[in-house]
Amino acid sequence: MSDPFDVQDVHVAAPDPRETPWRRIWRDYSASPLAVAVLAVLLAIIGLAVSAPWISPQNPYDLMQLDIMEGLLPPGSVAETTGYTYYLGTDDQGRDMLSAILHGLRISLWVGVVSALCAVAIGATLGLFAAYRGGRTESMIMRLVDLQLSFPTILVALMILAFLGKGVGNVILALIIVEWATYARTARGTALVEARREYIEAANCLGVPLHRIIFRHLLPNCMTPLIVIGTVQIARAITLEATLSFLGLGVPVTEPSLGLLISNGYQYMFSGQYWLSFYPGIALLVTIVAINLVGDRLRDVFNPKGQV
Amino acid sequence: MTDVELLDRSPATPTSADGALLSVRNLHTSFLHRHRWNPVLQDVSFEIARGETVAVVGESGSGKSVMAMSIMRLLPPKSSRIKGGVIFEGRDLLTLPDEEMRRIRGNRIAMIFQETSLNPVFTIGFHMIETLRRHRRMSEAEARAEALRLLERVRIPAAARRMDEYAHQFSGGMRQRVMIAIALACRPQLLIADEPTTALDVTIQAEILELVKELQAEEGMSVMFITHDMGVVAEISDRTVVMYHGRKVEEGPTARIIPAPDHAYTRKLLAAVPRLGEMSGTSLPVRFPDIDLATGVMTPARPAGRTVDPSEEPILKVENLVTRFDIRGGPLGGLTARVHAVENVSFDIRAGETLSLVGESGCGKSTTGRSIMRLVEPVSGKISMDGINMARLSRSGLRQMRRRVQMIFQDPVSSLNARMTVGEALMEPFLAHRLGDRRAAREKAETLLARVGLRPEMAGRFPHEFSGGQRQRISVARALMLDPKLIVADEAVSALDVSVKAQVVNLLLDLQESLRISFLFISHDMAVVERVSHRVAVMYLGEIVEIGPRTAIFGNPQHSYTRRLIDAVPIPDPARRQIKRTLSTAEICSPVYATDFVPPTRRYREVGYGHFVMQED
Repeated sequence: MSDPFDVQDVHVAAPDPRETPWRRIWRDYSASPLAVAVLAVLLAIIGLAVSAPWISPQNPYDLMQLDIMEGLLPPGSVAETTGYTYYLGTDDQGRDMLSAILHGLRISLWVGVVSALCAVAIGATLGLFAAYRGGRTESMIMRLVDLQLSFPTILVALMILAFLGKGVGNVILALIIVEWATYARTARGTALVEARREYIEAANCLGVPLHRIIFRHLLPNCMTPLIVIGTVQIARAITLEATLSFLGLGVPVTEPSLGLLISNGYQYMFSGQYWLSFYPGIALLVTIVAINLVGDRLRDVFNPKGQV
Repeated sequence: MTDVELLDRSPATPTSADGALLSVRNLHTSFLHRHRWNPVLQDVSFEIARGETVAVVGESGSGKSVMAMSIMRLLPPKSSRIKGGVIFEGRDLLTLPDEEMRRIRGNRIAMIFQETSLNPVFTIGFHMIETLRRHRRMSEAEARAEALRLLERVRIPAAARRMDEYAHQFSGGMRQRVMIAIALACRPQLLIADEPTTALDVTIQAEILELVKELQAEEGMSVMFITHDMGVVAEISDRTVVMYHGRKVEEGPTARIIPAPDHAYTRKLLAAVPRLGEMSGTSLPVRFPDIDLATGVMTPARPAGRTVDPSEEPILKVENLVTRFDIRGGPLGGLTARVHAVENVSFDIRAGETLSLVGESGCGKSTTGRSIMRLVEPVSGKISMDGINMARLSRSGLRQMRRRVQMIFQDPVSSLNARMTVGEALMEPFLAHRLGDRRAAREKAETLLARVGLRPEMAGRFPHEFSGGQRQRISVARALMLDPKLIVADEAVSALDVSVKAQVVNLLLDLQESLRISFLFISHDMAVVERVSHRVAVMYLGEIVEIGPRTAIFGNPQHSYTRRLIDAVPIPDPARRQIKRTLSTAEICSPVYATDFVPPTRRYREVGYGHFVMQED
């Protein structure tokens, strides 16, 4: 021991300074093999959705490519003209279901992710602002949140869409309006604790402007629950969009999402052409389950009490 | 560590003839962390005789609490490993079956902690009766009578009535008395007290220490008293074991160790403990002496230079400051009462001067500092900084003002944003006030890091990579980024270990000398206050009861509360152990008043030059 009493360089809570937070998160996440498998499935789904226009055998929106004579073929049928195999069958207009599902997945994920991101941006900002300011500002924002959350989500979304009309943009807007309140409440809950911590007071004393206190100090320290709830809410947004489309108020027929595909096939369910609804349904199910499981695992990883 | 002599290296054979009640032999404890066994205690041996009080002293991380947990076998068996011997009444506790060990815990060895562990939904009486019925197999009526007797033993006033009250209705000191009563319920042979007074105010601490001393004399039990405070050690113990980094570095009679410590670390610990009254020769602040742990050579403290010019106008003037908090209740949230946190407080500070605000928790000293920073809004009063009234400033005016007044907080962990590098944290205020571009900010940050004794390249690290003392230095550097004239230091060194505390105090004194910064030093620690201040204001229930030059307050205290406060500070002087104090049984007063309460007008009389005392009725 050269100088065992040097108190200058004692590292108290740093197990390994080189370990970045991201690396730690990955190490904890990958401790569960199931979670890694689910993440791989999710990444594959996202990959398929993003590259749909290039990998799908047919452009389901191009009516020139469709042959009405090949409508309602069961899975595994071979096209007479092109010799192409319809692995998942065709719909009533002769559209290849596999291509339709890949494109539908693309729209479903797009709607889910964009609406969740916008909702988190709006909700978190309002929630953090409410927690930091307190008093009347907080009461006003939080009563608005309470009001929003006391209506059934689907009802509000239906009303908005009935007013605005169909369309991908309108669905996203409707989802943002019904989802932001959840984020606002979560962000406020976390920020209430953080806003009373001394580093916020210190920033205040140092004359740091309000927007920096909220986005540079409060937000990074409240990210954890927002990431977790954000993941789960993407799944919720996708389900909600599917429900709306199934009810005929979601995306237009020209851009079918998974929900619309299920809805289109629904009328053929009882006449034996199960594949029209069944395969889009499976795609939706796998996507939702994968997102939820990843979200679940993230919650475990971020919650220190859940760790051994 | 050649200078450490281990007392007992004999193999662990149970013997009861040597008179030791507890004999710890070659104790090794390791914890499992990330699949590796890390040693926490290494080869610790000592003994406690019947009726003896042994103090175990050390800083955080020295393993003193782990030792108590090892003796009691309270560590999780899966992630901890204990080797060696713990011989208690002739039996090795480490090899006893779990069932036997459970009978020893609570019955033969009792333990009290820093935090009181009372279940909030049960009454105090229920806790005690439950313990007595389970451990001593008493009937309900017998147990009730015995519980009452025990509560009276620990001097709880109106014990018969208070037995049916709940934990939250008791103050911290009274709760600790209840814990002691519960610990005594089974007439233990050994009481292990793990920092039982650390969370308490000094006057309450003095009472609890007195109580432990009295009870020990009456019951003849042994006490193992774990603490970080050398003053407490001197006050309570027969013998002392000094721990450092999981090893015992020194052991011996307290009367020998305190005046003449052998080991350099003990000397360092003692040097960092200020002794009240040792500063009577000078009116200026004095740095802590530095001890080289390798050689044990002490560099005597250099007194601070003269930084105050009495002919100058004060830079900060606080006049008749009043801050109150509303207590709302009832179904409509109506105003039910008010906390008079700060009541009619006036003082001023000159350039280069340190004024300390002292008092116990709840006396309003922190609220005074926070009112000056406008972190809370004062009800009335004037706070002039360089002639500008801060209490009336607009938001933008306040931002400008904050360049001149800065604050350092108590908790070095939570006062830095964990998601920002130290460099970013330092540069932020500089950039927010547009004092220069990023390059200028970085240069200034690096200069200041070097100024507070850290390396400039540490700017890229995150706060969790630093120790508590280093983090507090970073907070100081951050406050200096705006070149303030006044720094409000709210318990800035209270959470630090003694040796680290000494370093940070010396840093503050260096800065005052070179930059002529003024400090409003808010602290409950009388001994540190005596070191750092030019002037001292004593606060009690929101009011200043006495204010004056430091030499006058400590040398000639006039107000009865000031005297009580100074008298309660534990001093590392074993001779003081014989002094008997009278145990106060009074509950603490509170500054909560009805809404129509009008505070009485106070009169101050001048006892000496600049020394004012509130007149007592």
